Amino acid sequence: MIELKHVRKIYGSGQARVVAIQDINFKIVQGEVALLMGPSGAGKSTLLTIAGSLQKPSSGEVVIAGQEVSKLSTRELSKLRLSELGFVLQAYNLVPFLTVAEQFQLVDRIKHNGNLSHEELDKLLQRLDIKQLLNKYPNQLSGGQRQRVSIARALYPNPSVILADEPTASLDSERAVAVGQLFQQLAQEYHKAVLLVTHDQRLETYADHIYQMLDGKIQVADN
Amino acid sequence: MFLALKEIKHEKLRYSLIVLIILLISYLIFLLSALAIGLASQNTQAINSWQAKTVVLNENANLSLTQSVLTKKDLQDWHQNADTAYIGQVPTVAKKAGRPSVSAQFFGIKSQQFIYQKQVLLAGKRARAPHQVTVDVTFKQKGYRLGDWLKLSGAKGKYQITGFVRDAKYNIAPIIYGTLPVWRKMRLLGPDVVASAVIYKRITAYHHGNAKHYPIAKLVAKLPGYHAQNLTFGLMIGFLFVISLMIIAVFLYILTIQKLQNFAVMRAQGIPSRVLVSATIVQAVILMIVGVALALALMQITLALLPAAVPIAFPPMIGLVTAVGMLLMGVLGSFIPVRSILKVDPAQAIS
Ligand SMILES: Nc1ncnc2c1ncn2[C@@H]1O[C@H](COP(=O)(O)OP(=O)(O)O)[C@@H](O)[C@H]1O
Ligand SMILES: [Mg+2]
Repeated sequence: MIELKHVRKIYGSGQARVVAIQDINFKIVQGEVALLMGPSGAGKSTLLTIAGSLQKPSSGEVVIAGQEVSKLSTRELSKLRLSELGFVLQAYNLVPFLTVAEQFQLVDRIKHNGNLSHEELDKLLQRLDIKQLLNKYPNQLSGGQRQRVSIARALYPNPSVILADEPTASLDSERAVAVGQLFQQLAQEYHKAVLLVTHDQRLETYADHIYQMLDGKIQVADN
Repeated sequence: MFLALKEIKHEKLRYSLIVLIILLISYLIFLLSALAIGLASQNTQAINSWQAKTVVLNENANLSLTQSVLTKKDLQDWHQNADTAYIGQVPTVAKKAGRPSVSAQFFGIKSQQFIYQKQVLLAGKRARAPHQVTVDVTFKQKGYRLGDWLKLSGAKGKYQITGFVRDAKYNIAPIIYGTLPVWRKMRLLGPDVVASAVIYKRITAYHHGNAKHYPIAKLVAKLPGYHAQNLTFGLMIGFLFVISLMIIAVFLYILTIQKLQNFAVMRAQGIPSRVLVSATIVQAVILMIVGVALALALMQITLALLPAAVPIAFPPMIGLVTAVGMLLMGVLGSFIPVRSILKVDPAQAIS
C-alpha cells in the first residue's frame, strides 16, 4: 500500500547537516498493523511524514496506492491525503475553531462521498467514548479526549491507510486497549494498512509487525 | 464561507477588534470626504442651484465676478430668454444691532429673470421693492428674523429681510439677493453698466465688445481658495486611503500568520490550499463589509446630530464609491498573505 525504496532524508547542510533517516526500505500492507518503535531522534516522525507525503525524501522513491509521490502535483497530493491517508497527529491535530461535529462537516464539504455514514460515525464515536463531546471545541477537551477525537477525524473519510504518531500517549490503559483493538479491527475487517509510531508497549499485542528504529535505520524486523 | 464564518464565531473578541479598526478608519474617511464636499459645496451651492452652464464676463476681469462689469454696449447683441439672467455681485458685510455681523455676497438680480423666479424660499416672500432682500438661510441660523432691517457696508439706507432661501452660498459666504440698481450704487457705477455677469443655463457662445463667454467650471475653479482647498482635501483623503490600505493589510497579514499552524494541520488532512485561500479572502470581505456598514450607520447618526452650521454633505454616491473603495482595499490586503498560505508546509503539523 505504501512502499519506501532506498529513502534518505537529510535536514540542513554544512555544520547543521543531519541525516535523519537513511537507506530505508519499508512497506506497509493492507490488512496489517505495523508498529514503529525506537528512541527519540531515531527518525520515526521523519519516516512517518515521508510515508504520508507530508514531506519529500532527499533521495529514494515513495509509492502510495500505486502512485509515485514525486510525480504528483500539490493538488493531487491534497486529494490523495484526503481520500487515502488518515493522520493521527501528535499535538495540534484538530482545527481549533471548529467543534468536534464541525471537524467532520469540514471533511463533508470537501470530499462529498465515501465518508463514513451517519450510523458508522455514530458507532465509531460510541466506541471511542466521545459521542457526548460533539459540541465542544478542542480547547475544551482533555488530552485523551482530543486524541480520541483526532482518531475519529482521521478515520472519517474512510482512508485506506492510517498513519499515527503516538496515538495512545495520553490514554489510560483501558482506552489504550480500546484504541489498539480498533486499529487491529480496522486492519483485519476493513483491510486498512496501519502504521503506528509509538513508545507504548501496550500496543505490541495488536501489531502484525514491529520495527525498531535507531540512528535513522530500521534495525530489527520482528514478526 | 464555512471556515471563514466558524472562525469568526469562535474568535469573537479578536474579530470584533478588527471590525472596530475597519469601522474607525472607514468612518474617518467618510467624515473627511463629507467635510471636503460640504466645504466645496459652500463655494458652488448658488451656482449649482441655478444649474448654470455658461457665464459671460468682462474678458479683462481674469474670471473674477468682483472684477467684472458689463456695459450696455458689451451686451448689445444679447437676447434675453428664460435661460439667462443678470447678476451684479459685490462683497459686503451685513449688520444689525444685537445680531452678529455677517460677511456676505450681495447679488443684484432682476425679477423678470430665472434666478429671481427659481428662488427656493424656506420662509417668507420674495423681495418686491428695492429696499427688500431675500437672504441665505445662514442668516436665520445666526439669529436673524424675517422683517429685520440690515445695514450693508457700502450701501446707503437699510434693507429688510422678506425671505430666507435655500442653497444660496457663493465662495463660502451667504448671499443677499437684492436689485441691480442697489448693486450699481454699492459699486458706484454709472447707469450704462448693466451687470457683473450674465448666467446661462445652457452651453452657449457670446462675444461682443469686452464681453466673453466661459464655461461655468472655469469660474468655479478660479474662486478664491477653492482650488487649494480641494487639493488639500484630495491629498488628505488620498493619503488616508493608502495608509488605511496598509493598516488593514498589516492586520490581515498578522491575522493570517497567526493561523499558519492551523493551516498546516488542514493541509496535512488534505484540505486543498484553494479552500484555505478562499476562506481567508471571504473572511476579509466579511470583515470589511461589516466594518464599512457600521461606519456608514455611524456616519448617518453623525449627520443627524451635527449642528446645521457645520458644512458637511454626504451624497449617497460618495458613500457608495468610498465604501466600494474600502472593500476593494480590504480584498487587496487579504491577497498579500496568500503566498504564505500557499507555502505552508504540511509537515509542520507533525512535531
Ligand atoms: N525539520 C527538521 N530540521 C532539522 N532537523 C530535523 C528536523 N526534523 C527532525 N530533525 C532531526 O532528524 C532526526 C530525526 O528526527 P525525528 O524524525 O523527529 O525522530 P523521532 O520522531 O524518532 O524522535 C533528529 O536528529 C532531529 O533532530
Ligand atoms: Mg517524533
